[in-house]
Amino acid sequence: MDTKKRGDLNINGFGSANGGQFHQVTIKGKGTVNSDIECVVFDCNGSGTVNGNVITNKAKVNGNGKIKGHLECKMLTVDGTAKIENNLNVENFKVAGKASIGGRVKAEEISIKGRLTVEGDCEADSFKAESHFMIGGLLTADHVDIKLFGECKAKEIGGQTILINHKPALMGLFKHFIQTQLETELIEGDKIELENTKAAVVRGNQITIGANCEIGLVEYTDELSVDKKATVKDSRKV
Amino acid sequence: MSEELISKKELLDIAGISYGQLYRWKRKDLIPEEWFIRKSTFTGQETFFPKEKILERIDKIQTMKENLSLDELADMFSPNVTELHLTNDELVKRNIVSSAVMDLYLKTEMGGQHFEFSRILEVFVLEKLLQSGEINLDEGKMLLQVLKDNRGLIKQKNGELVLTRKLGVSSCLLLINAEDVKFEQGTKIVVQLSLVKCMEEIKANLL
Repeated sequence: MDTKKRGDLNINGFGSANGGQFHQVTIKGKGTVNSDIECVVFDCNGSGTVNGNVITNKAKVNGNGKIKGHLECKMLTVDGTAKIENNLNVENFKVAGKASIGGRVKAEEISIKGRLTVEGDCEADSFKAESHFMIGGLLTADHVDIKLFGECKAKEIGGQTILINHKPALMGLFKHFIQTQLETELIEGDKIELENTKAAVVRGNQITIGANCEIGLVEYTDELSVDKKATVKDSRKV
Repeated sequence: MSEELISKKELLDIAGISYGQLYRWKRKDLIPEEWFIRKSTFTGQETFFPKEKILERIDKIQTMKENLSLDELADMFSPNVTELHLTNDELVKRNIVSSAVMDLYLKTEMGGQHFEFSRILEVFVLEKLLQSGEINLDEGKMLLQVLKDNRGLIKQKNGELVLTRKLGVSSCLLLINAEDVKFEQGTKIVVQLSLVKCMEEIKANLL
């Protein structure tokens, strides 16, 4: 792809433009792009809306970005609020704000410090979160590492190692108001360590159930240890 | 088709793989989404798989993953056809098609010498069935026509080719995402061939 000859698209202030192929797309202010964009760098600093799909190398949302289609990129950094109404395909996905995806997420690395909402499945090689999240489908990654900050939900979680820790709230005062708990129907993995988790079924080889867990059924093959402060209704070795 | 199902637990046990591997292969699209069948059991929801298909697929993955990366494997299994372009000479040279069948194909189809994937598939199917002696020349031509008319569908969907004979009259059907097909009594099913499997075979031969 010869990208050197392409022009840039800049929207400063209030404006709208049509999509197309660009080198760099920058939206500062309130900009609307009315069709699909293919570019090398996509930068949204103010309030940007794309009424179409975006294919890019590097995407950055610092303000308020909305893509009414799907986004395909190598690297996506969200420091503000991003909303993607369709699927997200990305290699490296970083969120330090709020991201919501209407479709499914396919990524290599996901790291979240903020809030993530995914309507469909969320797939990655590694999933790291210190946040709130809501995943409507399956969360799967080789390494799932979650530090719970608030209320988290996923329909199912599956992977190789699954670590879910409870991070003590900084402001002790609010501790009782904000519930830090992960709720899910099913967790499956080879090595599982849980805290503050409510799950119907947990299956795996080595399972550690920590404090404040509420588990319906645990099925394990090698080891199981249960904390005193956890409730496990039924457990069996298979 | 009521296939025999296998639960996820049994599968991991029989195949000797871990949850991590299974989920990884699922992520890389090595195992199609449709094979994950959810059913409620007395312990809650469990996932089941069509036994034969999944065991065969896992066997393939395990034998081939030594030589190929997971992404390459995914390309092989996906019915979305890769960008393949070959000429008739190359196909003959690579032993995918014999020169006799190639001549026949070119004569019937009257296309150029440039083969993209759907034409490779057509000629491969023809070769396979003619060489095995299951069909005759006329049936081969009929079959080609069916494949040719439905090129668009075959690329995206799970197609299956069926050739039947009754009282000496043969007819050819293309099943798209079909579960099962029944015939009246006395109909002989000469050939039932999954096109996705053929694609895999071609890809395996070409790699």
